[in-house]
This record gives sequence, structure tokens and C-alpha cells, in this order.
Amino acid sequence: MPTRPHSSTSRGWPGTPRLSACAMTRDDVTPPRPAFGLPRAKSSQPTGREVVRRAMAVTLPEVVEELLSEIAAAVRDSARIPDELLLSLKFVFGSSAIQALDLVDRESVTLISSPSGRRVYQVLGSSGTTYTCLASCHYCSCPAFSFSVLRKSDSLLCKHLLAIYLSQLLRNCQQLSVSDKQLTDLLLMERTQEA
Amino acid sequence: MAEALRRVLNAGRAAGPGEDSNPGPPLLLLGAPRSAQTSLLFAAALEAAGEGRGPVLFLTRRPLQSLPLSTPAARDHWRLQIRFQYPSSIQELLQLLASAHEAPAPVPSLLLLDGLEEYLAEDPGTQDTAYLAALLLDTAAYFSHRLGASGNCGLVVALETQKEADGDVPHLALLQRYFPAQCRLQPDALGLGQHCCLRASLETGKLSPRTEWSVTFLPGGEMKITPWPAQASKLSPDQNCSSAGSQSLTLGCDNLPSPRFPLDGILTSGTGADSKT
Repeated sequence: MPTRPHSSTSRGWPGTPRLSACAMTRDDVTPPRPAFGLPRAKSSQPTGREVVRRAMAVTLPEVVEELLSEIAAAVRDSARIPDELLLSLKFVFGSSAIQALDLVDRESVTLISSPSGRRVYQVLGSSGTTYTCLASCHYCSCPAFSFSVLRKSDSLLCKHLLAIYLSQLLRNCQQLSVSDKQLTDLLLMERTQEA
Repeated sequence: MAEALRRVLNAGRAAGPGEDSNPGPPLLLLGAPRSAQTSLLFAAALEAAGEGRGPVLFLTRRPLQSLPLSTPAARDHWRLQIRFQYPSSIQELLQLLASAHEAPAPVPSLLLLDGLEEYLAEDPGTQDTAYLAALLLDTAAYFSHRLGASGNCGLVVALETQKEADGDVPHLALLQRYFPAQCRLQPDALGLGQHCCLRASLETGKLSPRTEWSVTFLPGGEMKITPWPAQASKLSPDQNCSSAGSQSLTLGCDNLPSPRFPLDGILTSGTGADSKT
């Protein structure tokens, strides 16, 4: 269960202007966290709600936005997620919450970007399979997303998408730069894998 | 994204002040076969191109049957600003979207896809359909990112539904998850005599009020759009005044059964040459 972010995992990122509509902006994953106790510029810290809004064109229910917002605030203040918010997370997302936190703890979320500025997320699943998640809307290539989220509407998010949200808040997203062509191949490979 | 269509239906006026740069949510344009989806989509392209909001990327499986004739905006802007591409299969469409960041062309301010049903006819599974929808959104979001402060890229996708029921459309509920705004085109039995009349209902979200227009095609091929009568009385006086002068666009209405227009095919030769694929 992750209670504190892994500041050492942020590998830095050149300063770029804030994106307007495209999701999960770079400043969400950029600078390494300052040491505990040091004051931080509040304006540079996106709230959970901002992260959520910027992250996904497809919006989450208000209650989930609120919860993620509270988690973001708690992480800013105490660098950990309080137990009551962990319980709320479990209440809303069921077993996916624990699994997502486990993925975050294992630093399984990678933001892949190319010089064009296009980005995609990959999440290394617990079984060792890598799943591709689109940054701008809710899409994950895992079977649970297809079945539980899309077909049955049982869940709001799969554990991989939730892990992306949480890794944003906890700032432990890995980063990887690839060429524009490699990013295209990555997006198309996603389709090949499905077939 | 819904705003691109709303501007067409509102005779060029955006939904409200300050919304010029906000394209609204991604929009699904639903209608039975031959319900003028292509014409409205093209009108949205012309409107965006003519207003100088930036280039428009128009994706469709095959070249349009006819193109607009003498709309001033069309004459000045459409050839330069609207880029047609004709992906012939869902695989080609995905390839085009996935590699959009490699294209050197200017960044579009509006992404339009006509005939989604033709790609869905290849019978993709749930996950493939979701991926196509998500990739459309992702591509529009990427274009928005490239446009930066200068604007956002809108997204409108036309999907033909069989008859009036949506039950025949595979994955419609899934698509609606990705496209919160929808505009439905329905034939209107109370139309103006022999003219083709459609009722366009736009809903941009669960909590947004529905807005309706009457779309009429005159024998000359002119598309006339007026607020739906039931709503016209509720508009504010100035809205009433300006919308009284209804939107008029001259379009080849290739997907309406009647009346037959003299425009069909007149400009067909121009479309293929614009293909970049």
C-alpha cells in the first residue's frame, strides 16, 4: 500500500507551456518533489480536480473527482494518502483500488512521449503484460476495461487507468521518450495485439 | 466540437459569448440513411474554414458526390482550408489517426469523419470500436495541444443509423460514452410541402437543454436552417431577430432522396485531386 510518493522516480522534463485540452499534462509529472517540509509554490501544483479534468476528456462522476481532489490535497500536505481516503477509494473502486495502488507502488506507470508532443501511457500489469492507455480519454487495452467498464458498465475505470490517475497525484510516473515513428507503431501495435 | 455544428445551425453564431475558442464536447451526428449528414458535416467544414479558424481535416471513405457551388465562403476558402483524406478501411483509418503527429501539414482546428458506419461494417469487436473512438478523441486532443493557446480542435463524427431506431447500430451505447454530445437528424413530416425537411436536435450533454432546428432543402439545393418553431418563441428578442434571417448554404445534397438537385456531380472532379492519401 503506497503511503508516500517516490520522488526519485521523476526523471525531469524540460519546461513546456501548459497544455490546454490534451490530457495529463507534463507539469503533472515533471519536477522531482522537493524535500518534505520545504514550501512549494501552490500555483504550480495542480489540484486533483485539475488533474482529472485535464487528464480525461471523458469526465468522471463528481464524487470521484472530489475524492481524487481530496487525495491530491492530502498528498500535498502530508505526502501520504490518509487511511480514510484509502477506504473511500476502496469503496468507490472496489478491489481495483488496492490493485491500482499496488501498481503505483511498483512504479508500473510510464508516460511515453515523442518530440511531436503526442503522448500515451503504458502500465505494466501484475501479470507482466503491458497495457496501453490513451492519455486523452478513458481507454485501456486490458480485458477488464473491455468487459467490466465498456460492456457491463460495472466499473468506472480499470485498475490501470486508476493507477494512472493515482500516479499523477503521487508523482511517481516513469517517463520515456521515443521517436514520432515509434509512437505511431506503439499506437498501432495496440491494435495488432487486440487482433 | 459540438460548437462547429451549432455554428452552422445558428447561422454562424457561436453558442454564446466567449465560446469561440471552445469547440465543445466531441459530437456524434446521428441520422437515418440519406438524412443530410454529409451536407451538414460539409457545412460545418465550410463554416470553420470560411471563418478562418484554421484548416479542417475531413475524413471519409470515398470522395463526396457533389460539392458546394457558390457560397462565398466556399469559393474563397474551402479548397485551401479543407483537406480530404479517404481511408478505405478501419485499418487505414487507425493508421491515419495513429500517425497524425507525423504529418507535416498544418494542424487542423476541426476533425470531421463522415460515414463511421462504413468502418463499423467491418464488424470490429467492442475493444476495436472503443479504440477507434478513443483514438479519434486522442487525435483531436493532440491537435488541440499543437494549437496551444490559439484554439482547440473540434471533433464531429457522422454515424448513419438504420431506419429511425438505434437498436441496429452496433456499439452505439459504447460510442455515446466517448461522444457526450449528439445531434439527431430526423425526417420531418410537417415540412414545407414538397421540400425535404429535417429536424435537427442537438444535445451537448446530459444536463444541457436540447436545441432544435428545422433544416430544409429547397429545390435549388439550398439548405435553409431555422430554429425549430416550438423554440423560436422562447428565444430572446435579439436572437429571434437575427435568426429570422436563416442560414442559407448552397450544397449538393447527395444523401437526400428528393428533390433531385442540378448540382450533383458538377464539382466532383475536384474532390479526388485533393486526396492526400
